[in-house]
This record gives sequence, structure tokens and C-alpha cells, in this order.
Amino acid sequence: MKVVLKGISKIFGKLRAVDGVSLEIEDGDFFTLLGPSGCGKTTLLRVIAGFYPPDEGEVYFGERLMNDVPPHRRETGMVFQNYALFPHLNVRENIAYGLRVRKVPDGEMDARIGDVIRSVRLDGLEKRFPGQLSGGQQQRVALARALVISPQILLMDEPLSNLDAKLRVAMREEIRRIQKDLRITTIYVTHDQEEAMAVSDRIAILNLGKLEQLGAPDEIYFNPCSRFAAEFMGGSNILELTALGYDEASSRLRAESGGEPLTLCIPRPAGERICLSVRPEWVRIVEDGGDDTIEGTVESTTFLGALVRYRVRALGGQSLMIEVHNPRSRDIRREGDPIRFRFDAERLVMLGN
Amino acid sequence: MAGPLRRHLNVWNGVLLLSFAVIFIGVLYPMFFIFRASFVSPETGGWSLESYRAIFQYPFYLRCLKNSLFVSVLATALSMLIGVPFAFFLSRYEIPGKNVIKTLATLPLILPTFIGAEAWLLLAGRNGLFFNLFQKAGIEIPSIYGWKGIVLVFTLQFFPYIFLMVSAAINSIDRSLEEAATNLGAGRLRVFFTVTVPVVTPAVLSGALIVFYLCIENFGVPILIGEDFRVLSVQAYNEFISEMGGNPAMAGALSTVLLVITMGLTILQKYWVERKSYAMSAVRRPEVARAGRLPTLLMWLFCAGIVFVALFPFAVVMISSVTKTSGPVMYYGQFSLDNFIRAFTIAPRPIVNSFFLATVSTLVGIVFGLLVSYLLVRRRGKLSYLLDALVMLPLAIAGTVQGIALAATYNTGFIVLTGTWMILALAYFIRKVPFSIKTTSSLLEQIDKSVEEASINLGVPPFRSFLKVVVPTMLPGIVAGAIIMWVTTLAELSSTIVLYYGPWATMTVEIFQRMGSGEFGPASAYATILIVSVLVPLFFLQRYLGRDLTTAL
Repeated sequence: MKVVLKGISKIFGKLRAVDGVSLEIEDGDFFTLLGPSGCGKTTLLRVIAGFYPPDEGEVYFGERLMNDVPPHRRETGMVFQNYALFPHLNVRENIAYGLRVRKVPDGEMDARIGDVIRSVRLDGLEKRFPGQLSGGQQQRVALARALVISPQILLMDEPLSNLDAKLRVAMREEIRRIQKDLRITTIYVTHDQEEAMAVSDRIAILNLGKLEQLGAPDEIYFNPCSRFAAEFMGGSNILELTALGYDEASSRLRAESGGEPLTLCIPRPAGERICLSVRPEWVRIVEDGGDDTIEGTVESTTFLGALVRYRVRALGGQSLMIEVHNPRSRDIRREGDPIRFRFDAERLVMLGN
Repeated sequence: MAGPLRRHLNVWNGVLLLSFAVIFIGVLYPMFFIFRASFVSPETGGWSLESYRAIFQYPFYLRCLKNSLFVSVLATALSMLIGVPFAFFLSRYEIPGKNVIKTLATLPLILPTFIGAEAWLLLAGRNGLFFNLFQKAGIEIPSIYGWKGIVLVFTLQFFPYIFLMVSAAINSIDRSLEEAATNLGAGRLRVFFTVTVPVVTPAVLSGALIVFYLCIENFGVPILIGEDFRVLSVQAYNEFISEMGGNPAMAGALSTVLLVITMGLTILQKYWVERKSYAMSAVRRPEVARAGRLPTLLMWLFCAGIVFVALFPFAVVMISSVTKTSGPVMYYGQFSLDNFIRAFTIAPRPIVNSFFLATVSTLVGIVFGLLVSYLLVRRRGKLSYLLDALVMLPLAIAGTVQGIALAATYNTGFIVLTGTWMILALAYFIRKVPFSIKTTSSLLEQIDKSVEEASINLGVPPFRSFLKVVVPTMLPGIVAGAIIMWVTTLAELSSTIVLYYGPWATMTVEIFQRMGSGEFGPASAYATILIVSVLVPLFFLQRYLGRDLTTAL
């Protein structure tokens, strides 16, 4: 089922929790709403589920306008952050709840419950009550309960945030597997960019209630459109420069950075302010000076095994993050060491604001 | 399209409207009615401050006010004197049979105070068991009548409030707090006075306010045992009830004075004491120490002794009920079931009335309480804040005042209820529903909203989701709340005495009247039935729902 949002706004008092968001979610997509807490992602999900009527805009499921359809008639399956299992019902009864409402005959009900229990690997726990389950098992029950009604759309509100780190990775892979098997349109809310990249077909980054950027995980990572998107999706260095002069022949732009001038390959009139994003792993450390190398001082060194992360002061006092993958022990620089590096002109991404 | 009208036409807005209507009819309008009546001159019928002038001018009325304050202050002080060490010993020291002592110590909270008064009359009143024994031995014992008896009964019945609140406070002090003080170099006594005492003090004050409130609003004890020692609640009743020369303005004015005091206490409790609470969830409860043999024995004697003195009179009532009697003369040692046979065959009506009224008001109360709790917890809005304050109002109104207000208001006019059973049910309902709302609200707050949303999301409309998911989850708590409501309603005297008429006398009225006319045997039989009716449900509550009455108070 395709989901279309047109100019959705939700206002609480003076706060525009969701502010004019329009987007289309294709049938069968795993679509993630990503953003920091308070960005409006959960509010938007609840608008889609029908728990909040939008103050502006329209919600369509397929061709159908859903604004006036109450939440219990929307045929969405929702997985809540705290699972919201019914404490007085056991696992089986929790899963059967939605089927009973739909008056599914007993035989079919048994079959469907059996299927879903196998699919989320809850075999043998049917008679347990929610209080007797671990966090991961509760999560599976919540997922099974939402899936068993064969919803048109699966809604998930930070479903993994209450699990520990290892379980989180295992569960997200499982969720993705089940979603692919069922080819069910899924809208997933999270604040964890790594989780979002791992599971999503497409991601919408929200900031202060507004849609910041929309695209596949790699599109956003390699081409963030804004400073916020660049910083939120993976770490990023943000450089603010002033264009000096563009040379048509070499298609190179000289830019003033506060320290050494930089060379870019974008045409810009002299005097314009430019904002660039450089991922820490794209910065190359060099041994000897040369054109376009920059000199700085290591402020701190964090050794993480597979990579070493430096915080470096350079370019007239700006603080930059540099990551070196597969470091060799003898190459690791210490606090106070001088460091020389260069940016790859091709990989400098220009940001809107 | 959902027009603005349709958005407001839902079950919950209907409930909101109904709640305000109920509170207006049951509380606000009656209170306004007697307040207005207190400014009407009994002679001219015009506006005047005569009644208030009388209260503060005539020594007779002024003495009622002073008496009320006197017994309340004294009983509160004594309750603290008993309750604080009681709590401290039982929480901090290994004392033999401490669990039994703790359970028994909470019983006076639920046993009707006026039966406590009755019991002491049976023991030490004129013709009382001890009175006669001591008189035979030629020993003069101090009279139980007047302020001494009132203070005695109040203290024994209300000290458990202090005990419970202080126990809770002591047990909420994390062990690390005292350890930190020790670590910083404080000795044991210093730790006690600089850490333990200050942390527990708000609980003591809070308990003291509750006890003071219960004393000043009490009616049954002073009217039974006070004789010429008149207090406010008794005098308000007298002014209202006397057939000849009943003075509604004076009753109204006395009620208003009492209302101002009880309201003041409630506000003080809410805004001052509650804010000064240092409640924390103790990770490690304080250590329970083992004292030496002699101190342990002394502590045991103190705690067990207090519990015995508080409960023994109730045993005497039960013994009296199966003792041969004629009028006020009790033939102790001669067994007879006559009192019960009479109660069940000749005059069973009060028993039926009590059960019927308690059941009706409880059922209505839990449904109303559940719906209002839902509004207060889940559908917060400006109106629900107002509702929150209003539904708790009856907690700040003395039973006698409420009874007088309802009787006066619905005597004539639009709705006439005075003289019907419905006014009793209404009074009980209004009086007990705050407890129901308190218990259900706190239960509801523990159930996350998303549980309901999960049900709605699975296709069940909102109100049915509430019934299917929320209500079953809360059921044990609702039953517990209902039991507490039911037993406290059975024991209600202060508003009943004003509101009942002939055929609708309850057990409490029957006990009160039989005591007044010296029929101790029948009074004890009804009192025993009442005590059993109160204790049996509470036993089941504790046994099968794992709760005790302390959770609801």
C-alpha cells in the first residue's frame, strides 16, 4: 500500500511539532523517519496511525483520503516503543486480539497465529504472560501481534530502543527479513542513524518538524543537502569558506579557509560564502608537504581498534575530525604531534545552508 | 467530514458533563445553600450576620469551638506520642510477632469510631464492666464521659495513621543516607537527630494533620461519650435536628465554621506538607537491628500493649452481644443469643438497609470513579483539572456538615430527596467516591497509554478498547477499592444520622439510638454484625488480592 502525505502539520499549543511535511512512500518500501528527539518523527507516525488528527494536510493510503478514518479502522499494524502488550493476556491471546476483533474463524485463526509465531520465533512461549518474557521476546510478541492481522502498513515507533546493543542488531536484521518476506509497506521511526541505514530502502530526515532530506541511505550519506543532514547522518566536518577566484581552464576554485587556501572543483563567484561537508574517513593524512596540504596539530587521539580518530586543530583554529582505518601502530600520532593532511576535491560536498 | 460539533460529541465529553452535574448537585449547590442560610436572620428572615456574631459572642458556642480544638489538639499530640515510637520500633528493630502486631495495628482505622466509643462505655461507663468491678472494690476510676473519653477513643483509633505514615517514611530512607552521615564522622545519636529525624518529620506532620482533621470532623464519638462536653459537629447537629426551635441559620453558621477549619486543614495538607516530603524509593531498606533482651521486651510490651488496649474494647462489644441483658444491665458470664435473634427476626431492616445502601453507592461509585479517573489521567484539559479539584472536595467536608447541607437543600424545591433512601445513597456516594478515584487514578497512571492505542490500532474502537484492555488490567485494584468503599460506607454515621428517616435507619443509626436509650445488648449485637461485615471482606482483600486497607487510605 502506497502512503502519501501532503503538507502535514501538527500543532501543539505554539509548537509546530510537524510542519508541512509532504512525502510519498512506495508500496513495499521500508521507509524510515529519522531525526533527533523532538524532531516530530513520532508525531508524524501517530498522524499516519490516526492517533493525532493533522491540523493541516492530507494523509492518503493508496488513493484513499484517510483524514477522517478513525485509528481503529485504518488497518495498520503498530509496534510501540514500550511494546504495549496487554498485561492480562498471554502471548497467544495478545496475538489473537486483533483476529478476534475481525471475527476470524477458529481454524484460520490457529493457522495464522501458528505462522506468525514461527516467523518471529516465539515457539513454546504461547502460554507465557508479558511479565514473564524478556525484552527481546516482548518485542517479538508486539511484532507478531501487529503482523498477524495482515496490515496494509506496518508502523514501528522506535521498536528497538529498549533493547541492549547486541540484541538491537539481531532484531533489526530479523525485522528486515520479515519485512522483505511479506513485502509489507513499513514506516519505521528511529533516532539511530546506523539502524536507519541498516534497514531502510529510503530515509526521511526530520528536523524541527520539517522534512530535511529524503532519499536512499547512500544518497543521503554521500550527498547530504544540509549541514544538519550531514552531521546527523554519520559524523561530518563542516568547513566554512569564502570563494577567492574560479579558474575556467582548470575548472578549479580557490577558497579562503582561515588558514591555507583550499582548491575546489565547483564554479562560484568570488566573495561567496561556501559551506562544505567532509566525512572524517575521507580526509587523507600525508607525510610531506605539497600543494593543497594542510598543517595542523593533534588535539586528541582515540584508538578504537579498527580505526583511530583524531581531533585536529587546523585552518586558522577550526576543529576537524579525521579517521584512519586499519591504522598501523607506528603511524599513530599522539596529542600535540604535528599532522599534515589533504582533502580530496572530488569528495567535498557543498551544503545548502 | 468531522465538524467541530461531531468532535465534541463523544462518550468522554458526556462523562465530563455528567461529572460536573453530579458534583454540582451533590456538593457545590448544597454547600452554597447552607452557606447562604447561615446569613439569614432567624427572626426577620433578612440578611444578617447574627449567627456568626452569636458564635463568637456567646460563651456557649465559643466553648463548642474551643472544645473541638482542645480535644483535637490533645488527641493529635497523644497519637504522635504513641504512633512515632510505635513505627520506629517496628521498622527498625527485631520484635517478636511484629507482623501480627502491624496487621492488628491497622484495624482501628477501619473499625467505626463510634463503636470504639460504645465499647468504652460498656467498659468504663456508668454500669460498665470495669466501673462496676472497681466500684465493688471501692476504687474510684476517672469518669470516661466528657473530654477524657473522647481523647482516649480518638487516640486509640487514629494513632495508626501516624504509625503507617511514619513507617513508610522510615522505610523509604535508603541505608546509604545514614551510612553517608556515619562516613562523614557522625556518631549514632548524631545520625539519628541530623538525618533520620529531619527526613521523617514531614511524614509525622502529614499524619498529624490527618489525625487532627479526623478528630475535628468526628461526630459519633463526642455525641456518644461527650455528654455535656459539646463540640462543633455535635452542636451543628443539635441546632439542625431539634424539631422545636431548630435554627437553620445557626446550624449553617456552625457548619460553615467547621467547613472553614476542615478546608483549611486540607489545603495545608495539600500545599504545604505534600511539598515537604522527601520520599525516595529506597534501594536498600534501613537495617533492622536486634536490640538487647530487656529493650526488646520493653518495646514489645509497648507495641503489643497499645494494640491490645485499642482492640480489646471491640472484643468486649462482641462478648456483650452474646451476653444476657436487660436494658443497661449486662449479666456478664451468662451466654445468650437473644440479641442476635431479635436483630435478625424482629428488626432486620437496619441490616438490610445498610447492605443495600452500601452496595448501591459502591457500585455507582466504582463506575463513576473509573470514568472520572480516566478523564483525569488520560484526557487532561482545563476542565479536567477543575474536575480533579472538585471531586476531591468532599474529602474536606465533615460528614455532619455534608448531611446537614444535603438535608436542608433537598427538603423542598425542585428536587425533593430528603426522606428517601436516595439521599443516603447520594451522600455515601459523594463521600466515598474520592477514595475510588484516588485508587483507580493511580492504577491508571501505571498503565501506559500505548496499551490502549495498541488495541485501537488492532481495530477496536476507543471506548471498547478501554473496556477490553484497561478495565481487566485494573480489575484487582478496582475490586480492592470497591471493598474499601463498601466497608467504610457500612460504618458511616455522621451524615446518616442527619439524613435517615424512619424505615431507612441503618445499622449505625440503630446502634447509636440503642446506646442512647440504654439498650446495650441489642446495640452490641448490631455493632458485632457491623464489625464482622467490615472485617470479613478485608480479610479476603488481604488474602486473595494481596492488598491491605493501607493501600486505599
